[in-house]
Order: sequence, then structure tokens, then C-alpha cells
Amino acid sequence: MDEDYYSIDSILAENQKIQCTFKVEIPDMGHLDGGSERDIKPLSKMQIPLWMAYILIYSDYADFSIPAPFNARVRNALNAEARSVRLSGLVGQGGSWYGFGKMIVRLLDDAPADEISKVLTKTFRDRLLEVIDQAQHFAALGAGGGSASGDGAQMFREGLESMERELFVLAQESAKRTKRWYETTDKSVK
Amino acid sequence: MALPISLRSSVTPPELELIASEQLIEIIPLISMDKTAFISGAYGPLRPPAKCKLPIWMATNLKLKKKCHIVPPDWLSVDFLQDRLTRETSQLEFCAMPFRFAEIAKIVLDVASDDLENPDKIRSLLKDLREARQAKSREGITKLDHSELSLPNLCSMEINEIRPFFIRSMGVLTQLTRHPAPADGA
Repeated sequence: MDEDYYSIDSILAENQKIQCTFKVEIPDMGHLDGGSERDIKPLSKMQIPLWMAYILIYSDYADFSIPAPFNARVRNALNAEARSVRLSGLVGQGGSWYGFGKMIVRLLDDAPADEISKVLTKTFRDRLLEVIDQAQHFAALGAGGGSASGDGAQMFREGLESMERELFVLAQESAKRTKRWYETTDKSVK
Repeated sequence: MALPISLRSSVTPPELELIASEQLIEIIPLISMDKTAFISGAYGPLRPPAKCKLPIWMATNLKLKKKCHIVPPDWLSVDFLQDRLTRETSQLEFCAMPFRFAEIAKIVLDVASDDLENPDKIRSLLKDLREARQAKSREGITKLDHSELSLPNLCSMEINEIRPFFIRSMGVLTQLTRHPAPADGA
């Protein structure tokens, strides 16, 4: 999700489609929509991968609408209780909701961009504590520990977004390592 | 990078223990030894029963060979720790502890628990202290933002434990925040 050209996360985050409305006619490109039309007509709508959408939007060939993972419904749900939204479900397998969001922010103008950016930041902070708590809980259980408390926690874990998963692993590993150190005693003469 | 993943994110606790072992601690030697030069400096001479300051690694080595008693640092006592625990649980900030107290306390408890008064009580106090402080660093997560974080008096082992995900989260927040400069006044 860095702007890094070589960042795999960034490339994966671009692998999302957004809905574009074409403003001009583009001949001989109808096959992009999988339809039988030969040309793309003005005002026709199409799902376009983000990496292709950039150039269309910047060159004013098309407009785009805020994609579903960031629409009002999702935002309301996030406002109500960020921890009960399954972010992973919004962007599909291995998708990066935050990465996707960041790309949308880059496509938007000031006011709406700020708004989405605020949603992203707030959601991240609201969920972070729960991510870390659960990671540490699992680290404390040790290898092969029993299943964690409750369905809510399980639901939350399944809904973790790829970035949050990464943080989960980092926190868990770190907690495990520290715990191991506290628990081992070495009294041998070296 | 060729480093294994486990070593990339931060220093490991045993490494921190090694670093802490360079600090000096008082011992009562049971053998005599002339002043001896080491890479880190000259230590000694050991003249029982006079006290002497040595690096912890050397003190533990002698202790394990039953050639000295370790004089625990002032802060490694029931009274001091009890006082700190009370303060730790009653106020919001972390209270000041020696920066590497966790490492040193563990070394001394491991090799020289017979030189301590009431080691079991000390152990349980240290554990309580650790948990109280962990609860506070957990609070710190909620205050996390993209530009700065101040958790004064946090000690090396605690910093090390939270470092990997704190810096990653701050990195993510930097990416998500639209104006890295102040502006949005959050």
C-alpha cells in the first residue's frame, strides 16, 4: 500500500474494479465490457480495474462513482461500530480495503477525499485496539491453544483486512517472543 | 534481506538481555582476584569481603560458580517495588523505573534468588508491575496517530514488545491521512 512502484501490496490494491461512466465514444473497445457492442458509447457504465481507470479519469474520458466498499451504507455501519464490519468481505479475498481507499482518495477532489481519508483513519484506529488485543490474547494462549472467547471475536478475526492481518501477526509474534523470554530461565554456567 | 523474518522487525529479548548485562552491579566476592583488563574496561581487584562493581555478565558467571554473592540493586526490593506498583496503579503515567529493569531483574532472579530477600514476592510484584504497565501501553494504542507518540518512562523491554506493530500502525496511518502536515486538527 506504499506508493512504491514495486510494492506488491500496492499492486494488489489496484486489482479492484470501480464503476466508470464514459463521457466520450471510444471505438472498437466494446469487448472490454464483455458485451457484443463494438464501440463504447458515451454514458455507458462499466466496471473497470483501478489501474486502468486512472488514465481514463485523468484524461477526462470517464467519471467514476464511489465504489461499494466506501458507499454511505458501509460508512454508516463503520460509524456505528467499526469493529463489527467485515472489511475483508468488502474487498474480496486478499483485498486491501485501506489500500483501495487510499487509491480512491487520490482520485478524488479535496472535500470528498478528506472525507474518505477521515473514514479510513477513524476506522483503522477504532479497530486497531481490538486487533492488538486479540493478537496478544492468542500469543498468551501459546501453541495449540483452545479457541478464543465468543463468536464476536471469531467474526472480527475473519473480517480482518490484509493490513490488519499483518499487524495481527506482528503483534502476536512480538508478544510470543517476549513471553518466551520471561518464561525461560537459563541457570547453566556458560 | 537475508535476515530471518523474526529478526527484522525488532531486537529480540535475549539480545536486550545481553545489552543489559553490560551494566555494572555490586557483588561480594568469595575469591580474590587481581585487577583484570577486559575489552570493556578493567575490573577488580576482588578482595573478599570488600564489595566490588562488575558487569552483570561477569557477576552471573561468578555467581553460578559460587564465587560471589550478588548485591541486588536498591530498586530490586519488596518495599521499592510495592511503592512503585501502588503509584503505577494510581496514576495515569508510567512511573520511572531503571530503563533496563526487566532484564536485570530477571537475570538476578534467575541466578541469584538466594541473595534476595523474599524473591517470590519480588517476582509477583514484578509481574503485577508488568501487567499494570502493559495495560497502559495498550491505552497508548488508542492515542496513536500518524506523526508522534509519547510514552515517557517506558522501558526497553516494553518498548521492544510494542515496537513492531506500533511503527507499522503509524506507517499505515501516515498513508491514510491526507495531510501529513497538521491542517485537519484531529
